[in-house]
Amino acid sequence: MRGMKIDAYITEHARKTPHQTALEEGKKSISYSRLDEDISIIASSLTDFEHCRFAILAESGTQYIKILMAVYRSGNIAIPLPIELPGLSLERILDAACINNIIATRKQYLRFGDGFFERFGTVIVVSDDNVVETRSKRVILERNNPELKLVLYTSGTTGTPKGVMLSNKNLVSNARSIIEVLSITPEDKAALVISPHHAFGNSIINSHLIAGGSIHTGTMNFIDPVFNLIESGVSIFYGVPSTYRILLRYPERFKKAFTNVRTAASAGGAMDRAIVRSIRELSPGTQILPMYGQTEATARLAYLPAEYVDEFIDTIGKAIPGVTLDVFDSENRPVEPDVTGELVARGDNILLGYLNDEDATEKRVINGWLHTGDLAQKLPGGYIRLLGRKDDLIKIGDHRVNPREIEKEIEKNSEVSSVFVVPVTHELMGNAISLMVIPNQGTEIDAIFAFCRKNLPGYLYPREILFIDHLPLSENGKISNRSIIEEYQHVKASM
Amino acid sequence: MEHIKNGILDYLKDNSFMERGAVLKDSDSLTQNGIIDSIGLLELIDYICETYSIEIPEDMLTPENFDSLQGITDLITRLAK
Repeated sequence: MRGMKIDAYITEHARKTPHQTALEEGKKSISYSRLDEDISIIASSLTDFEHCRFAILAESGTQYIKILMAVYRSGNIAIPLPIELPGLSLERILDAACINNIIATRKQYLRFGDGFFERFGTVIVVSDDNVVETRSKRVILERNNPELKLVLYTSGTTGTPKGVMLSNKNLVSNARSIIEVLSITPEDKAALVISPHHAFGNSIINSHLIAGGSIHTGTMNFIDPVFNLIESGVSIFYGVPSTYRILLRYPERFKKAFTNVRTAASAGGAMDRAIVRSIRELSPGTQILPMYGQTEATARLAYLPAEYVDEFIDTIGKAIPGVTLDVFDSENRPVEPDVTGELVARGDNILLGYLNDEDATEKRVINGWLHTGDLAQKLPGGYIRLLGRKDDLIKIGDHRVNPREIEKEIEKNSEVSSVFVVPVTHELMGNAISLMVIPNQGTEIDAIFAFCRKNLPGYLYPREILFIDHLPLSENGKISNRSIIEEYQHVKASM
Repeated sequence: MEHIKNGILDYLKDNSFMERGAVLKDSDSLTQNGIIDSIGLLELIDYICETYSIEIPEDMLTPENFDSLQGITDLITRLAK
């Protein structure tokens, strides 16, 4: 079973349990046999391409999963585009990845318009009834890493996008670890309401389809449909912390919806005690299972066993099966317990490398160990506590972002002297950003707000913009997250 | 009705969800046109509740009621009575 391709598991289930429900969206559902046939229909339009990169432009739902699996089945490489990003950021990803081919749903084709698709040699449009239309076709030979199956973008909002290259082995091994940790069976129904185009959502698809269970897809846009989705018999709910914060705004409905949910799993950011306490109170029968990971590790690296949630909620838990975690000093030597170093990981889920960026790959993967960039300490029992980042990356609305890149982006495109990004707490997202700006004569606050709304994803829209008159330097004359936060607190205190 | 509709449009423009000069048809989807996301929608709902002194039960938080200017306007008109 080891070398089996992800999409072949679907064929296997289609043979053994053809009528079992695979995917649900709204009130519609499709069985494994139907899913398997539809994947083959789409894949048959791709047979002229041999291990070529295909961008996928599809909203979350059944269509997206079919297209993804069809790209795998045809032996090509999938590059899902995060459709929540503004057009400009998508273009940056497309340029960085030199993508000649794209598959889009009809809905996204109409939304982005003919002009957007002119840059591609091959444009394939899939409609809701699985009619596959090849609007243009130009087969260009590509030389790709032979193991490459999937490229996931970790950033790309600003600055240079980083494409994480993953293999079939990466995808299958991480899915198997997740199946074990969550005890996923064919009887389980997963709720996929977060983006499927990133590592977390992608791992839900892989683990539940390999296990032969079902997935109910939706979005977090409208609350009533989300609760309806959960009440349709979901046994495992997945969310980032902000997903839970949003749902917990409606405690009565949460209580009703989660009664039959056996596990509430999380990743993408730390679950705080307040969230855990609220879930416990409203749905005592639901097991809470926080997980930790990175796109560079396909998705998961660690989990906090449900029975230890109360004791170890301030840790990321321990390694998932198949993964080894350690903490290294700056010389790449393991440190003793309770000593701070960098969290490193190895296992079959560690990325092949970054697309077209060997330098970045060499910095992150050293002697087979993925260097996560997270500062950590080892605790007894294999538990790991995180202590912030080695670099200046911050978590905003459960996304990992580089504040220096956002600052540069705004400075380059606005009438300002300097811009500084400050992480501030946000009721739903955990963290949001505010800006401190050193203005020049032409600076207009409204213009900066408008620029951010148009060019950055919603979670990076600044809560406030404050003017300052000097650089937020630390005592030794450097600018860092810490010196910026200190200056911000100082400015706020004197307001 | 027009008064409410313009109030929502002003909110969207004042908070840079859309540009001042942009045109939004009454039935255009706010989520599918990338104007608003789930967090933005919750903020809009808070704004509506406060401005019109209404409470919106969660079973009314549906695409029919919140994905277009018309839907939002109709909902407020109904609840503000």
